Amino acid sequence: MTQEATDARAVPTADWVSIADLHRDPFPIYRTLREEAPVHWVPAINRYLVTSYEACHIVENDQEVFSANETDSLMKRAMGHSMLRKDDPEHQADRKSYGSVLRPKAIKQTWDAIFRNNSDKFLARLKAEGPGADLIWEYAAPYAAENLRQIMGFHNASQEDMQRWSQTMIDGTGNYADDPEVWAKSEKSSAEVDAAIDEILPRLRKNPDSSLLAGLASMPIPLDAIRANMKMTIGGGLNEPRDVLGVAVWALLSNRGQLDQVTAEPALFPTVFEESVRWIAPIGMYPRETTRNTELEGMQLPAGARLGVAVGAGNRDPKVFDDPEVFDINRPKKPHLAFGGGNHFCAGAWVARASVAAIALPQLFNALPNLRLDPDQPATEAGWVFRGMTSLPVVWDQP
Amino acid sequence: MAKLSFHHNDGNVDVLDVDTGASVMRAAVTNGVPGIVGECGGNAMCATCHVYVREPYLASLPEISDDEEEMLDCTAAPRDEARSRLGCQLVLDNGLAELEVDVPDNQV
Repeated sequence: MTQEATDARAVPTADWVSIADLHRDPFPIYRTLREEAPVHWVPAINRYLVTSYEACHIVENDQEVFSANETDSLMKRAMGHSMLRKDDPEHQADRKSYGSVLRPKAIKQTWDAIFRNNSDKFLARLKAEGPGADLIWEYAAPYAAENLRQIMGFHNASQEDMQRWSQTMIDGTGNYADDPEVWAKSEKSSAEVDAAIDEILPRLRKNPDSSLLAGLASMPIPLDAIRANMKMTIGGGLNEPRDVLGVAVWALLSNRGQLDQVTAEPALFPTVFEESVRWIAPIGMYPRETTRNTELEGMQLPAGARLGVAVGAGNRDPKVFDDPEVFDINRPKKPHLAFGGGNHFCAGAWVARASVAAIALPQLFNALPNLRLDPDQPATEAGWVFRGMTSLPVVWDQP
Repeated sequence: MAKLSFHHNDGNVDVLDVDTGASVMRAAVTNGVPGIVGECGGNAMCATCHVYVREPYLASLPEISDDEEEMLDCTAAPRDEARSRLGCQLVLDNGLAELEVDVPDNQV
């Protein structure tokens, strides 16, 4: 547990780590770091990087010492001050404003049918493109974006708008290089989201539906909080289902035995989902800041230390998971860190499970006989703060 | 103080004396009781602090809220209509000064 720093170990510096290498493949770097210490100072990212399961777990369960309300946060600049950068009780007030829109009952009553319909629609688009099509950009991304658009209640926007808003604002939250062009695009999207919210709220107030914005329209929530939380939701709510879907398909198509097992027993798709997010967490790192001098898993940290909590690394900690670098749906079930934990546990976790594990994966493998990787075009993956497939060309047998 | 017992499938029992006001989930997690995860920190959002309450205590329990109700349908181990509860929603207080629960085989 955390305590005042006393005889804790000094944090080693990892000056050999570069952002380019992390972006290409963070996992060998994480393994080397973790073998030396659970926390490193990493000059390239100007943060202390937390890579052990135990240390990540401690951080996410102690908001008094490890605050989400980061100083000079790029996310606050790109999206406003959302609940993701607040501690309780402010966080809790925002979180409660989401009501039950993202919870299992609403998913069953309202969203499942909509997800199924959207999956049909974009499966048809993928099929029309024909073998060799990119599963990420013809199916996973528009499917995740359209689901999110409808859940949020952006009836005055398109799924393409959602994708553009999400990507450009996320690029802003990760703009450590302070690139003015990245800020310009992020600010343009931010203004577009504000305009869309201003336009839709009065309409939803008059004609409420099951969406998130309709719920918020009837509550006494400051507009700034609505705007910031909607932008955060556009960011996280799109990438995560898109990327877990892509990674799950890629992992199965690369592991024929496990694919055969799942095809024979579709009840295993939820297991595929959980193993996919353990193996490659779509949100691989998030920031925290220490509020006082402290000790984290035996390592000394000063007050005001900026942390990168690498849950993507914690999820491959061999102290918790045997043979952690391997994708294996038959490993013993254990809790992973991919949805975060404590008060910031992902509010969209059940939506992601429903839309990806219960609908998209079974429909996809059912609709495309003998689905396999395209031997002529390689699949690519990238990222460390967010990680997922950047292309996944696939082929299948046409009737 | 309240007395809280966790019965495990291997026959082991963890008995805790906890401050009134603590939830079953919080007491388990802070005292390292195995088999209780509490991923969402007590927001009735993750269903990883599922317990089966033992018979003599069922009448003393608080009512099941809508949030807890829907989450009990999402537990990894089968729901027992009479005995299943989320540990984060069971707060030890003067009306519930003693409690015994069975810990399910799995939470994820």
